[in-house]
Amino acid sequence: MLQLVLNGLANGVLYALPALGISLIWNASGQFNFAQSDLLTLGGYIMFTLFGTLKIPYVPAFLLTVAVMGGVGYFLSWVYFYPMLEARVNPQIIMIGTVALSVFIRNFILVVWSSTPQRYRNVFGSRALQFGELFVMPHVLWIIGIVAALLILLQYFLRGTMMGTAMRSVAQRPAAAWLMGIRNNRMISITFMMSTAIAAVAGILIAPINTLSPSMGSTMGAKVMAAVLIGGLGSFSGALVGGILVGVSEILFSAFISSAYRDVFVFGLLVLFLIFRPGGIFKADISEKI
Amino acid sequence: MKGMKNFFREYTVFIVCALLMVVPSITSQYVFYVFERGVQNAFLVIGLVILIGYSGMMTLGSAAHLAIGGYAYGIYCLLGLPPVLSAAIAVATATLLGTLLAFPAFKLSGPFLVVTTVGFGEITRILILNLQSLTGGAYGLSGYPVVSQAMQKYLYYGMVALLLLVILAVRRLGRSRIGLALKAVRQDQVAAEVMGVHIKRAKVAAYALSSLLAGLSGVFLANLTGYLSPDSFTGSESATYLLMTVMGGMSNPTGAAVSSVGITALPEVLRFLYSSRLMVYSLALLIYIRVKWGRKRRVALVKPSAQGAPKPKGGES
Repeated sequence: MLQLVLNGLANGVLYALPALGISLIWNASGQFNFAQSDLLTLGGYIMFTLFGTLKIPYVPAFLLTVAVMGGVGYFLSWVYFYPMLEARVNPQIIMIGTVALSVFIRNFILVVWSSTPQRYRNVFGSRALQFGELFVMPHVLWIIGIVAALLILLQYFLRGTMMGTAMRSVAQRPAAAWLMGIRNNRMISITFMMSTAIAAVAGILIAPINTLSPSMGSTMGAKVMAAVLIGGLGSFSGALVGGILVGVSEILFSAFISSAYRDVFVFGLLVLFLIFRPGGIFKADISEKI
Repeated sequence: MKGMKNFFREYTVFIVCALLMVVPSITSQYVFYVFERGVQNAFLVIGLVILIGYSGMMTLGSAAHLAIGGYAYGIYCLLGLPPVLSAAIAVATATLLGTLLAFPAFKLSGPFLVVTTVGFGEITRILILNLQSLTGGAYGLSGYPVVSQAMQKYLYYGMVALLLLVILAVRRLGRSRIGLALKAVRQDQVAAEVMGVHIKRAKVAAYALSSLLAGLSGVFLANLTGYLSPDSFTGSESATYLLMTVMGGMSNPTGAAVSSVGITALPEVLRFLYSSRLMVYSLALLIYIRVKWGRKRRVALVKPSAQGAPKPKGGES
C-alpha cells in the first residue's frame, strides 16, 4: 500500500510539473496552453537524442535540454503569444492556436524521431532499494527529490528575487506593472521560458517510468489538464496537490479496482470537482497568484 | 463587381458540390475512396461549425461523437436490425449522447469546457476499448453489413446531395433566430441573456445539431471502411477536425466542406506530404491565426482578466 502510494507520488509530481507550467502561463497571460504536455514530450525526445544517441553525460545533457526547451518557450512567446495578447485577440482564438501548436509538436516529433517508442538508460539504477518491508526503485526517490528541489527553487525565485516579484506583479495588474517600469513582454516571455523548461524537466524524468512516444502528449496531457483543474487553475500549490492527487489515486484505483478504467476514474473525479467545486481545491485569489 | 462577388459567395456551394459529383468518373478507385472520406468528414466538420463557429463552444472531443455514431450503427446491425433502421437509430443515439455534453456547458466556459470535452473523448475511447463483448475492443468492430462495392458510387452521390442540403440548411440556420441567438451567446453570454435569449435552450440546440451531424458522419464512416477501431477516434483526430473547422473559416459551412475534403485529399495528391501532413497543416494554421488576428499593432498593455476565464470579446465576429 505504502509502496503504491510512493510510486503514485513519483507519477503525480511529474503531472504536477506541466500542470504548474499551465498555471504559470494562465496567471501571466490568461491563456490556457494545450501544448504543455507536448512540450514535455519534446523535452524527453531532445534528452533522448543528447543522452541516448549522442552519449553526452547525464547531467550536462539534462541542463542542455532544459536550456534548449527554455529557448523554445521564449521563442514561442516572442513570435506567437505576446503579439497575440498585445493585439487583444479573442482568447478562444489563441487557445485554438495552442491546440494547433500541440498538433504541430506531436507531428514534428513523429517526423523527426519516428513513431517507435523510445527509451533510454535509467541512470538511477534498476536495483530496488529495500527499507524494511518496502521495496523502492531509486528513480522514484530521485524524481521526488529533484521535483521538490525544483519547487523550492521556483518558490524562492518568485518570492525572493526582484524578477520574481516583477513577474507576480505582471500577473496581478499588468497595467500597473507597466507603469512601474516593468517590461510586460519580457516578463511574459520569461514566464513561458520557465514553464517550458519545467515541462522539459518532467519530460526528462519520466523516461524510467514511461517509454517515450509521440502520442504521450495526448494521453498524459489529458491527465495533466485534469490535475490543473482539480487543483485549481492558477494556483501554485493547487498544481502540486492536483498532480499528486491524480497520480496517487490513479495508481491506487488501478491496483485495487481496475487498471483498464483508470482514466475514466480520473475524469470522473474531474467532473465531480467541476460540479461541486469548480474552482478546484485551491481557488487562486489575487494575492496568491503564481 | 460587387454583385459578382456576392453571386459567387452565394453559389460557391453549388459549384463545389458539382465538382464533387464529377469526382467518381474521373479518378481511380483509391482517390475516389479518399474523396468519400473527405465528404464524410465534412458532415462532422459542419457540425463543429455550428458548435465552435456559431456558438463559440470549443470542443476537443468531436472524435467521440463520430465514434458513437459509427459504433452504434455497427452494433445495431450486428444485433440484427436492418441497416437503414439501425442507421437511423444510431444517429438518434449519437444525438442523444452528444446532447448530454450540453449540460456541463451550461456552467463551464473557456478551458474548463474544453478539458471536459477532452475527458468525454477519452472516456468514450476507453469504454470502446474495454467493452470488448460489445465493441470488439482493440481488435475493432467489423462484420456488419455495409453498402456493397457496386452501390458505393450511389452512396457517394447521396452523400454529396445530402451535404449540399446540410450546407444550405446550416447557412440558413446561421441567419435564423436560433443561429443569431447562438452567435449572441458566443459574443457575450450575459448580454445575450439580458436580451432574452434562452441560453440553455440555445446550447442544447447547438450540441444536438452538431452531434446529429457527427453521428451521421459516423454512420457513413462505418459504411465506407467496413471496420471500426478505437485508434481512429483519439484526441489527435479531434484536434485534426478542429483544424479543419478553423481552416474553413470557423463559421462558414461551405468553407468547412472545402477544407475537410481538401485536407483529407491533399496528401494523396502530394505524396511527399504524406507523413508530415499534419505538421504542415498545423504550422500553416498557426501562421494563419498569427497573421490574421495578431497583426493589429497597438501600444497596448497586456490585459488578461483578473480572475477566472476571460470572456471572449470582439475579435472574430
